[in-house]
Amino acid sequence: MNADAPGRADVLREERHGDFDTKLMRINVGPVHPATHGVLRLVVDLDGETVMGATPRIGYLHTGFEKTMEHRTWQQVVTYTNRMDYAHALGHDLAYVLAAEKLLDARVPERAQRIRVLLTELNRIASHLLGLGTGLLDMGALTPFFYTMRERERILDLLEMVSGVRMNYGYFRVGGLSRDLPDGFEAKVQAFIDDFPAALEQYFAMFLENEIWLARTRGVGVLSRETALEVGLTGPSARASGLDVDLRRDAPYSGYEDYTFDVPVAEEGDAYQRFVVRGEEMQQSLRIVQQALTRLEPGPIRDPDRRISLPERHELETSMEAVIFHFKLVTEGFHPPMGEVYVGTESARGELGYYLVSDGGSMPYRVKVRTPSLPNIQAIEPASIGGTFADMVVNIATMDPVMGDVDK
Amino acid sequence: MSGASILEDVATRLGELGGERADRGGDVHVAVPADAIREAVRRARAGGFEQLSDVLAVDWSEYPRHDGPRFTVIYHLFSPTTMERLFLRVAVGDGEAVPSITPQWRGADVFEREVYDLFGIPFDGHPDLRKLVTPEDLDGHPLRKDFDLGESPTLFNDGRYLDPASFRAGMLGRDAGRTGWVGGARKGVVSEQGRDEAPSDGDGGTP
Repeated sequence: MNADAPGRADVLREERHGDFDTKLMRINVGPVHPATHGVLRLVVDLDGETVMGATPRIGYLHTGFEKTMEHRTWQQVVTYTNRMDYAHALGHDLAYVLAAEKLLDARVPERAQRIRVLLTELNRIASHLLGLGTGLLDMGALTPFFYTMRERERILDLLEMVSGVRMNYGYFRVGGLSRDLPDGFEAKVQAFIDDFPAALEQYFAMFLENEIWLARTRGVGVLSRETALEVGLTGPSARASGLDVDLRRDAPYSGYEDYTFDVPVAEEGDAYQRFVVRGEEMQQSLRIVQQALTRLEPGPIRDPDRRISLPERHELETSMEAVIFHFKLVTEGFHPPMGEVYVGTESARGELGYYLVSDGGSMPYRVKVRTPSLPNIQAIEPASIGGTFADMVVNIATMDPVMGDVDK
Repeated sequence: MSGASILEDVATRLGELGGERADRGGDVHVAVPADAIREAVRRARAGGFEQLSDVLAVDWSEYPRHDGPRFTVIYHLFSPTTMERLFLRVAVGDGEAVPSITPQWRGADVFEREVYDLFGIPFDGHPDLRKLVTPEDLDGHPLRKDFDLGESPTLFNDGRYLDPASFRAGMLGRDAGRTGWVGGARKGVVSEQGRDEAPSDGDGGTP
């Protein structure tokens, strides 16, 4: 999988055994295993307790989303995007609607953009909380999981309040949002912003000062910047290896250039830093949520272009034209011009991009999703070789793969 | 954005390889011949495009007024210093193979396997060219346009049913289907009734 992986394993065997002929033991991990975060299957070569190879076998969650999307209208595709990365679902929704809007040259109102950023960042915190909690769970620390779930639950409640569901939100639309925020939402978000830093402090205290946790993560699964680039690793895991890229800052979209936030980067590239970078990212996301909330002003939430957005309900009773547009949008949808676009965004796992090809029809001709988790799991092998089997579990956890995102 | 632009420099160096530059959707695409892709990738990487973001393919067999080879394989490169993107395109005919770029970039491993699995485009020199996501016993390559979408008919209470294939054909403007609608959901596809005309270039179409 990795350029230096096979070579490194050979060197290790030479060091350990010299000319003495030894055999590796090949064992199967997963696809149904509590430490594999879903249905990741790894074929692991072991020399005693030392990992000499770890090849991912994937596809257990392949759903054929890209094929299905070619047979749904542009607006219906939003139903499928969030089912890939179910932990950071709004990240997928945002990336898709941005790409489709780039094709259409749609003008999304200020309020819709702010709400998108606010919810995506809340969702990012929820995703990191899940990654953190399950990561610690994989190391045998059961308690922190319940604490992180407690805060995540509050975010899910907020997102449920907006979209009506806890997981597959589908709240964004090409051209804007499906509906406006409910009453009382702002106050609840503010209450969360006020409470969350204390909870975050609690988490940091729970593991940063925990001797066992430090021993399990410090210097474990070290990935160099070169290896990260070689396998295509992106996101928080890559930033922990010194790859200073965050598309929110470096290639801003959806108005991210207006927000003040820092991008946590570390040089060590070990499991410890991958945890810490995610923790610090939550603080930064919270800053963005606060700024988005403060700047939230009343206004339209959809592109006024009738060719893209459904007319308001009251217009249908007075305007024949509105009825015609409504009928056309519902029966066949809109027709973006022929062409190809790519929009890359920063999801909780790394670079998430949609490559769309339009033939001028009401359905996409081709949708290619650049999911971050697929190249990210390629980093498990180079991080794990030479370490113990138990460390490999830590490495899987700190890559934070979501298998729906890997298999599509 | 940080650092001076490397995109122009690299695009020029790829032009020496016979690369044809075109701008699509605000990004720079360079079409290179299939046998030059390894050298092109090597030059782009040496020029600063250090990250291979993706390898994808498009099947053009149902694209309106497309002439040329059936597939295009697109290599998506990214520079983590200047934050620029570069897309390399290789046109591939049905049954033809593309040289694998895994010797230049080991991270291309899963991307090329995905393209092979879903489009059936083989990559010469790939160390482990197996299916990636579809089951072993699945014949065919799902993202090819001639691979039918499997769906089950929808049965309504009164015994009426909606056959997805004919419904879809109606949506695509190929025949009236069961809905009786021969609309132009797919622009550029002329239905038998001839109600749908091919659009002019770049026509966005209005509903």
